[in-house]
Amino acid sequence: MGNNAPRSIDQYLKALSEALANEEPALRQDALSDAEEYLRAEVAQHPDKSEADVLEVIASTYGHPDEVADAYRATEATVRKAMQGAPRPPATNFPGKFFGVYTDFRTYTSLFLLLISLVTGVLYFTVAVTGLSLSVGLSILIIGIPFFLIFIGIVRVLSLAEGRLIEGLVGTRMPRRAPFVDKELKLSERIMDMLTDRRTWTTVLYMLVSLPVGIFSFVFATVAIVVPLALFFAPIGVLFGLGHHMTVDGEDVRTYMGVAGLVLCAITGFVLLTLSLHVVRFLGKMHGSLAKALLVARQGDA
Amino acid sequence: MSAVEDLEQPEEGLARKFQKELNAGLTGLVLLTILEKAGDDLYGYQIAKQLQQVSPSLGLKQGTLYPVLRAMSGNGLLSSRVVPSYAGPPRRYYRITDLGRATLLQWQAIWRETRAFVDVFIEP
Repeated sequence: MGNNAPRSIDQYLKALSEALANEEPALRQDALSDAEEYLRAEVAQHPDKSEADVLEVIASTYGHPDEVADAYRATEATVRKAMQGAPRPPATNFPGKFFGVYTDFRTYTSLFLLLISLVTGVLYFTVAVTGLSLSVGLSILIIGIPFFLIFIGIVRVLSLAEGRLIEGLVGTRMPRRAPFVDKELKLSERIMDMLTDRRTWTTVLYMLVSLPVGIFSFVFATVAIVVPLALFFAPIGVLFGLGHHMTVDGEDVRTYMGVAGLVLCAITGFVLLTLSLHVVRFLGKMHGSLAKALLVARQGDA
Repeated sequence: MSAVEDLEQPEEGLARKFQKELNAGLTGLVLLTILEKAGDDLYGYQIAKQLQQVSPSLGLKQGTLYPVLRAMSGNGLLSSRVVPSYAGPPRRYYRITDLGRATLLQWQAIWRETRAFVDVFIEP
């Protein structure tokens, strides 16, 4: 152990990252953030010792990177189950798979996500465009730099919040910690770090893209649910004597479609609704994948 | 790690394994107790240091505390909030919930019963 023990914080974090290489990137980011917080605090507590000396003791007090990685792996299974409930066995026959969408709560959480993504999309887009343009415009003044830092700080907070929202609604594993920033770096180095961090720019891209994605999601979710419901309930409306309110090409729907037509209308509505819900659930997952691709650091990122 | 193990006597390895198994079951109990007794929210490093002061030799690695804190947060025994900042390390502060308090009472009772039970056999 003496030969391959990490001798610096960066070496320790690299070893931990490698130990968790096959795990979810968001879990790895959490583990690295926790470890970096502890290691930097411990080094700060012993200013008389060198980083290498502190790290030598760390393996016995904090744990070897492999031990720490094992601990995260062990508890991740528990956390997953607690947050999502035990996984349902997937339906194997076609009717089960087709109509199972109604009993999957992810369908409804995805629908909710699509509907509110218009609001979040407008918010993120506004913040991103305002922040970016003001940062560039003010960069010639001294106030430009702190303004840019504040903007990036807001971006990171929104990124964390969006991650929690996505994980709660769609189940994609997102980080539960903000990314770590070394407070000992000079201001100019910190700014360079943020400017060169890929995640900063992919997050801003996500915020810009949120507006068109949100508009599409909201419109699709609304139309895809309302139209089938209207088709489904039309015959029921007729049954309740509301038929004279419904016309097609100026003609009363009862004479236009006839009884058979109305029954077919209801069935079509029901089938379309089921298909719509499948697409809604799929779009929810896609939204989660987009967030994961743009908001979570990948292996090899700082 | 394996180089050290090679030099150990077999009983030392078994003792270490036994301690590890006990720690796995009891870490949650200890962490909940610390947070219940604390007046304020605590973050990971603070909690780890409190443990270290009391039991430097129990083989309880502090790196293994963080995932247990996360797991208990996931189970609703703790609530947490992160204080992100670019001026320093972001910290996750933990606080015990009502469910955590109720669970802790049960766990403490179970611990006392278990300890009394084992003591009957091992006390001379």
